[in-house]
Amino acid sequence: MRITTVRIIVQAVVMALFLSCVLVTTFACLDEMPALVFWVGKFLEIDPLIAVATTITTHTLYKGLLWSLVILVPTLFLGRFFCNWICPFGILHHFVGWVFNTRNTQQKIESNRYRPIYAIKYYLLGAMLIAAVFGTLQIGLLDPICLLHRSLTTSVLPALNAPTPVAAWLGEPRTHQLAWVIGFLVVFFVSMNLVIPRFFCRVLCPLGALLGVLSRFALWRIERDPQTCTNCGLCSKNCEGACDPHAQLRMSECFVCFNCIEDCPHGSLKFAFLPKREHEVTWPDIARRKVVFAGVMGVLFYPFARLSGRATKDFSSKVIRPPGAVEELEFLERCIKCDQCIRVCPTNVLQPAMLEAGVEGVWTPVMNFRIGFCQLNCTACGQVCPTGAIQRLSVDQKLGMGEHADQGPVKLGTAHFDRGRCLPWSKNIPCVVCEEVCPTSPKAIHTERKQLLIRDGKKQVVASSPTTITVADYPPPGQPFGELCLFRFNAFRGDQTTRYSVVVFHGDGTRETHRILGNDADTLMIGEVDAVTGDVVTGATFTKLPARGTVAAIHVELKVPKIDTQLCIGCGLCEKECPVVGDRRAVYVTAEGESRSQGYLQKDRNRSLRLLKKM
Amino acid sequence: MGDDTKRTDKKAAGEPLSSSRVWTRRDLLVRGSQTVVVAGAGAYAAIKLHDPQGTAGLQPPLSIKLKDYFAKVDFSDSAPRISSAFGALDRVEEMVRAALGGLDPRGMSCFIGKGDTVCVKPNVGFDRGPLLGATTNPDVVRAVIRLCREAGAAKVIVADNPIEDPAACFARSGIKAVVDAEGATIMMHSRYHDTPVAIRDREPDPSQGEALGTWPIFWTPLREADKVIGIPVVKDHNLCYASIGMKNWYGLLGGRRNQFHQAIHAIVSDLGYMMKPTLMVADGTRVMMKNGPTGGRLDDIKVGGIAGRPCVVASVDQLACDSYCVQKLLGRDPAQLAYLDLAYEKFGHDPTRMVARSWQDYVPQGKLVERTL
Repeated sequence: MRITTVRIIVQAVVMALFLSCVLVTTFACLDEMPALVFWVGKFLEIDPLIAVATTITTHTLYKGLLWSLVILVPTLFLGRFFCNWICPFGILHHFVGWVFNTRNTQQKIESNRYRPIYAIKYYLLGAMLIAAVFGTLQIGLLDPICLLHRSLTTSVLPALNAPTPVAAWLGEPRTHQLAWVIGFLVVFFVSMNLVIPRFFCRVLCPLGALLGVLSRFALWRIERDPQTCTNCGLCSKNCEGACDPHAQLRMSECFVCFNCIEDCPHGSLKFAFLPKREHEVTWPDIARRKVVFAGVMGVLFYPFARLSGRATKDFSSKVIRPPGAVEELEFLERCIKCDQCIRVCPTNVLQPAMLEAGVEGVWTPVMNFRIGFCQLNCTACGQVCPTGAIQRLSVDQKLGMGEHADQGPVKLGTAHFDRGRCLPWSKNIPCVVCEEVCPTSPKAIHTERKQLLIRDGKKQVVASSPTTITVADYPPPGQPFGELCLFRFNAFRGDQTTRYSVVVFHGDGTRETHRILGNDADTLMIGEVDAVTGDVVTGATFTKLPARGTVAAIHVELKVPKIDTQLCIGCGLCEKECPVVGDRRAVYVTAEGESRSQGYLQKDRNRSLRLLKKM
Repeated sequence: MGDDTKRTDKKAAGEPLSSSRVWTRRDLLVRGSQTVVVAGAGAYAAIKLHDPQGTAGLQPPLSIKLKDYFAKVDFSDSAPRISSAFGALDRVEEMVRAALGGLDPRGMSCFIGKGDTVCVKPNVGFDRGPLLGATTNPDVVRAVIRLCREAGAAKVIVADNPIEDPAACFARSGIKAVVDAEGATIMMHSRYHDTPVAIRDREPDPSQGEALGTWPIFWTPLREADKVIGIPVVKDHNLCYASIGMKNWYGLLGGRRNQFHQAIHAIVSDLGYMMKPTLMVADGTRVMMKNGPTGGRLDDIKVGGIAGRPCVVASVDQLACDSYCVQKLLGRDPAQLAYLDLAYEKFGHDPTRMVARSWQDYVPQGKLVERTL
């Protein structure tokens, strides 16, 4: 069997494996088969750029990232085989370029020549790694595995099941902020294969750049025998890496695809052990001065970004991170924007940020409670995070139960009421959906009964008896009495949650309040309600008979909601379910009081987010 | 040059030049018909789709009406209409059988026919374990599914539109495990299962306590089903005082249903008006006495409510079932429940239903059966 046939089989198997890993990364799947967590994000764990960059920013190698040695060590021996044999994004580009190829042989050879533009990826890598030294992790923007995971999660997979459902197992199409940008970018990169073959891999890929730099240590390489070579150029016809096998092979560009060996009609190329150094170029073709400029860009990015303030003093309190997330500046050192947490979140509450968290936080996960809420007993996001930006939590840890009762629950933030929009607070309409859905036990949202004067509720007493009072509209100045009222029968009868009461202002300055049990056109019937049983106690009467001409004010008594900030965990169910929808709901969650900030009060953002003084 | 000579020769001879030949009949037929067909099709489409008023595209889609799931039940007028069975927590299936047996000696076979598709609607509203009483006891769900199968049901669908994440609610409440074990089908809500249903043929009048006109309903299980059985759990509710059978149909609403809490009694009575179920089987095994409907603490629960012994209530009258459970299990006065009055106004006089104003109306008629195991 030819080596290229083996390679094609391996590419197909790897792609199928990658897609399977992506498809099992759902809450439902992992709930049913927890052992599959091993496969979730495996391709991210083997990615050496993620391992190297996070080691630079955090000075540690997080858990599963040790797997990157599986790619790192063989690359040091074999060269940049990852790009053509393992990288799913590379395989995708290879496949698209092959399927949509419209070039003839001569054009193919031309398109696979090395171009100076291919040096850009090294400058990008340099800039990103230098930025990482300062503590900002931006490799996730262009790392191919992160990019592919992110694109599949936010735009491609949801798009497959919309606008009409194609298959139930694809799930309901999920919403993601600015998904069109991410989708457009991935389509653009893949389409560029028709212009320059393997455009992304050759021009932009920082992981490819890293592996290309490491290739200089490779012991096995493609070697050309100048004796048998006729300079026909056919080796470049299907060269994936544009590494100039017909001339001095550029080791840092070679994808070890073996197409050149197959295509050479004279058998001049072979994969040799320790070939002569004169036959190849080991170091990428990058000018030292341009490297300096790339370095300067990396150095400047950090202060430009950090001093824009979004991660420090000018933080947005709408940035609410997943449960288990580390403190914000550390989060920016760890998050690779792979969006695995967004993929696995069962309620679609996690969204790729736009600029809320600053330019450093683009595409990092933030919560959007208009779309979902944080499910009480779920800790899936932490289970799938490959770099520890979101730590693994147990459910007990998240809820502050069992052995973690002393630490208390993880708080994402605190909910607040916008009283101007809340129905009972400002519009005299009963509603306590927020209290109903608050999942904490005891509930963080509790209600008080409030007496609110109804519209045109100020009336004038016309006549009264011990248990009834007849009223008229309060007269305009100058008139002694107003029009008799015309109420709807039992309009003020109320029910368990909405009650009506009448407050009578006696002429001597005293007042008394009684519950209204019913009414006809102009007469209210009063009574009392036993506070314990809620039963009506008849026989309740006016202590002092209301005199004609005095004021009687009709009030509605509603339950109005309030937040107990000690108990609120910021899960956002209240905001999600609030019927006052719109840009700002009547109850909304902010990052104030988030527990992840509390241990790091020397930092500006965290200090400002403290809600309560610790008791 | 050769061509030029040919052209002048032909011209001199009076023959038509090759570049300006006269069209043939074949040309006319083939190309002419192509053009005419395209023109005709375009004109036809334009006329057919023409909207002279400009409002045709704005008409709402035709909506559907719900079936009467009680119509095909052969239930005698003189048979008992509420039947309760008090027992123990480990004898739930016996209790369900006894409760149904009290309505009719044939038990479930009176309601479910051979080959029927049955939609079973438990309360799976919240992400809570079964011991917390916020969802229907899975033992009751299991018993109902089994009895339906015994009566010959071809397919049993268990459906609900919970407030929290559907997968989590079905899993934690223990109902998913029961459904899988009994071979029934779970139908979880998604947008694609919603269809506008005409509960009333006009807009609702809030001053008459109406809440629903045409509204998106969780339609797929209801469309497939021949029979619908509601299995509510009996519990306290912070807004409407009690959540039992009629409130349980809330889980069939789609769309932005959280608006209805502003007139909760209107919506609960409208839900009773909307649904004509085959049967109600109310779960009074673990009754949530306070902090409803979500609860969350074990001391909110009392086994069997004020009755002290776990109870299952079967009824063909959803109104009387509610009032019975409120009084006998929650220990509250049904007269305090405004939605019962509204419900009676809306469908108490409907001849296709069996309705009484209060459960006590059935006592002198002998239509209330209470058994203790």
